[in-house]
Amino acid sequence: MAQNNQALLTRLRTSGLEFVIIGGVSVVYHGAPMATFDLDICCAFGEQNVRRIETAVSDLHPVHRLTPQQLPLAATQSSFASLKNLYLQTDLGKLDCLGAVAGVGDFAAVRSQSSLADFSYGQFYVLNLDALIAAKSAVGREKDMEAVRLLRAIKEKREQSKAQS
Amino acid sequence: MMDKETLDQINGEYVFPANAGPAWRAAAKYGFDMSLVEESLKLTPEQRLAEHQQVLDFLIEVQTAGQTHGTK
Repeated sequence: MAQNNQALLTRLRTSGLEFVIIGGVSVVYHGAPMATFDLDICCAFGEQNVRRIETAVSDLHPVHRLTPQQLPLAATQSSFASLKNLYLQTDLGKLDCLGAVAGVGDFAAVRSQSSLADFSYGQFYVLNLDALIAAKSAVGREKDMEAVRLLRAIKEKREQSKAQS
Repeated sequence: MMDKETLDQINGEYVFPANAGPAWRAAAKYGFDMSLVEESLKLTPEQRLAEHQQVLDFLIEVQTAGQTHGTK
């Protein structure tokens, strides 16, 4: 089934999970015309939150997509407390949940550098532009630095617009 | 309790396919998520285009939300 980020976000919110949208979706949010084919979020990890994520996707045949054997999420319950990230393939697409963002910090730091955004299907926290630039810069791969160039240009334009108004 | 290798994979360590060549490894080093490429290659061209359209529709809405929050 094709990637359905709207449905995944709605399910995560319904589960009671507190999270921030990061990654490619946040890049697009800030104005960069770059495609992304997965949904990345940051949330606090720990058994309770992993169970919330599991609840959100339990009927979507979730598997750990980076394990060669495509381990079902449900089969790894005994390790929920020790997980730091989750990279899932579900019937509604890919969902990557990170416990921290390089260059920004843990969920508390990420949450403090995010803003509430209005979508037609609800409000969600999205990583702020400065934090996004810091995150991409910290990873530092060529592809990330391409995004950084564009995000810095967007930031510059935004600051110019503010100065003119 | 599961072994460390599996736990590392769950936590995000990408396992290169056994036949990964230098171009595949170079693309991963550049920053592409090659696990996404692997999944894409399992789809038919028609399925890829359908997914692309669905993702674009979502991203257009995200972009619009960003604009209404003064991120122009």
